[in-house]
Amino acid sequence: MLTSAAQVNYMLNCMGCHLPDGSGAAGKVPSVADSLVTLSSSAPGRRFLVQVPGASQSPLTDLELAQVLNWMVRNLSARAVPADFMDFTAAEVASYRRPPLVKVRETRASLLESATEQIAR
Amino acid sequence: MPDMRSSIDARVERLARDMAQRVSRRSFIRSIGALMFGAASVPLLPVARGESPAPASPGTGADPGDPQSCEYWRHCAIDGFLCACCGGSAHSCPPGTEPSAITWVGTCNNPADGHDYIISYNDCCGKSECGRCLCNRNEGDKPLYMPFKSNDYNWCAGSKVGISYHCSTARIVGIAK
Amino acid sequence: MSTSEHAAARRGDVIQPRGRAGACAALALAASVCGATARAPLPPDPAGVVEPLPPASPHWVWVNDVAFFAFPDGRAFLVDGDSGKMLGMLSTGYSFTGVVAPKARGLIYSPESYFSRGTRGTRTDVVTIYDATRLVPVAEIEIPPKRASVMPMPGAQALTDDDRFLLIYNYTPAQSLTVVDTRSRKFVGEIEIAGCALVYPTGPRTFFSICGDGALLVTTLTDEGKVARSARTAAFIDVLNDPLTEKGVRRGDTWLFASFEGVLHPLRSTPTGVETDPIWPLFTPQELAQHWRTGGLQHLAVHGGSSRLFAIVHQGGPETHKDLGEQIWVYDLASHRRVQTIATRNKVGSIQVSQDAQPLLFACSLENNRLDIYDATSGKYLRSVDPLGLTPTVLVAP
Repeated sequence: MLTSAAQVNYMLNCMGCHLPDGSGAAGKVPSVADSLVTLSSSAPGRRFLVQVPGASQSPLTDLELAQVLNWMVRNLSARAVPADFMDFTAAEVASYRRPPLVKVRETRASLLESATEQIAR
Repeated sequence: MPDMRSSIDARVERLARDMAQRVSRRSFIRSIGALMFGAASVPLLPVARGESPAPASPGTGADPGDPQSCEYWRHCAIDGFLCACCGGSAHSCPPGTEPSAITWVGTCNNPADGHDYIISYNDCCGKSECGRCLCNRNEGDKPLYMPFKSNDYNWCAGSKVGISYHCSTARIVGIAK
Repeated sequence: MSTSEHAAARRGDVIQPRGRAGACAALALAASVCGATARAPLPPDPAGVVEPLPPASPHWVWVNDVAFFAFPDGRAFLVDGDSGKMLGMLSTGYSFTGVVAPKARGLIYSPESYFSRGTRGTRTDVVTIYDATRLVPVAEIEIPPKRASVMPMPGAQALTDDDRFLLIYNYTPAQSLTVVDTRSRKFVGEIEIAGCALVYPTGPRTFFSICGDGALLVTTLTDEGKVARSARTAAFIDVLNDPLTEKGVRRGDTWLFASFEGVLHPLRSTPTGVETDPIWPLFTPQELAQHWRTGGLQHLAVHGGSSRLFAIVHQGGPETHKDLGEQIWVYDLASHRRVQTIATRNKVGSIQVSQDAQPLLFACSLENNRLDIYDATSGKYLRSVDPLGLTPTVLVAP
């Protein structure tokens, strides 16, 4: 009957803006459905997912945040999760987490742009 | 009793009542729980569509209290006009208003079963304020610089129709513990 | 007969024959009237007269009104604390949070939001510039329609200390600041402050926002209103257990914030940023045991000249930091001790103090549409402006 701890933490700390299916609201809250797999496949992208203030400044421990991110990748992605997806760990989250990122928009845009270029190549 | 206007809600309500008559209260809660949010195999419906499976029935033993009252257990951190007084219910919007999917999410303890339920305080937007049943409680509320726990924002900001705030609901979306 | 003669007759007065001599003769025994001329009828009033404001006084206050039951109809009332008179008002649109008064008098800046159909349609946000002596709009600057719709707070909008740039907190829920150049009267840009909120000026072109990890983000602007420098302090706010409220007040170079549990945090601006000075409690252990805490929407005020801090207090459990109070406790900022207790006539949630040598204390709350006025030194209740507005919120001293 109880939802998993990771899903509960997603609901309490993320769902309010990112919505139950991660779709967000265009122009206001980015959708994570398309970007989670892309961003979690590179170190700078993974750093972004941890440093974005909603994640970084959440009251979750490093382990809890890692578990939420893993739950999100596996449950909210529109794209198939690649077989070589590496789970976030508490240690990795701790290494990326501080200071929180302020320039979120341009960092996200440039990460997704360079990811697109890589795929194009 | 909440005034359920949508036909979907009415059908679901009838289903819930049927089940309640046939099963004991405890197992009724368990089966409704499984429908709503139990297994990982049941995906959560997007909030924006304004639907939800098997809503609980406020005012019953399992969900005690009056949704038109500030003291109702789900209102532990609500800030605004109670939609149940405005033509909506604890979980639904009055006619002609637009549910805001984006909001903040807290937890309130249900005295009937001792669980901390996850409550999503979705606003209903697009019209001027309802003006009835104003209620402000601040359990777990944080300042504006922690938006995911702040009830001082007009959460209609995230709605499709913009910041015109009408009333607030207190939707159960899960159980924390 | 004239109307006044009818009235006189009803009172039982003797109706006098017209003419001066006759009047005096008939009223010979009525000492107060004898010798007076007969009253000429009242002349008509001139049409179309609009009162000018009287000369400004340090005892004026702006009472911002979010119109909580009628958001499209926000207002700001100008009140003279000495006479208890409403001097005039501004009509300020949807979800109004407050006017900003520059140091150089003469203008009022007001960030406002409007829908083309009242509560729906196209949303337009503007900064309206009002002539402060005539209370009329004289200019309008369109800004992104993202102005934060929040419970009114002083930190929702502010001028840089040199009055040049107006900063407005946006929440969509993406967080940013709109920058308006008041000299060119143009929108010059938006500064992203993801994870941080509100704006508190600390220097000519410097201000801080409060971040969700308990740090401050300190920003300095260039002459063009762009970011010259942005730096984050260490995280020092205990966001989980005892966060600072957003409702700080400023004395000189120091912002004073009370935490939920009544711990006073002074934040002092320096040439390079913001430093935290030693914190001190507003409540003794005994008072805490009696559940005293601060509460309200604008629960602190400060009188710079006498170095005193005013705080609205009440007895209540945890998380009653927005509850109204019926007492105002006054602290000496040097000794940190309570020096005075003011019992209020009504429950209050917002206070403000004038900064002159005979200060007035203004108090109001969302639950009562009135403004109460006290002598800030003695604590004596003086007068009220009743009724005033719909749901008064933040008090701004011009």
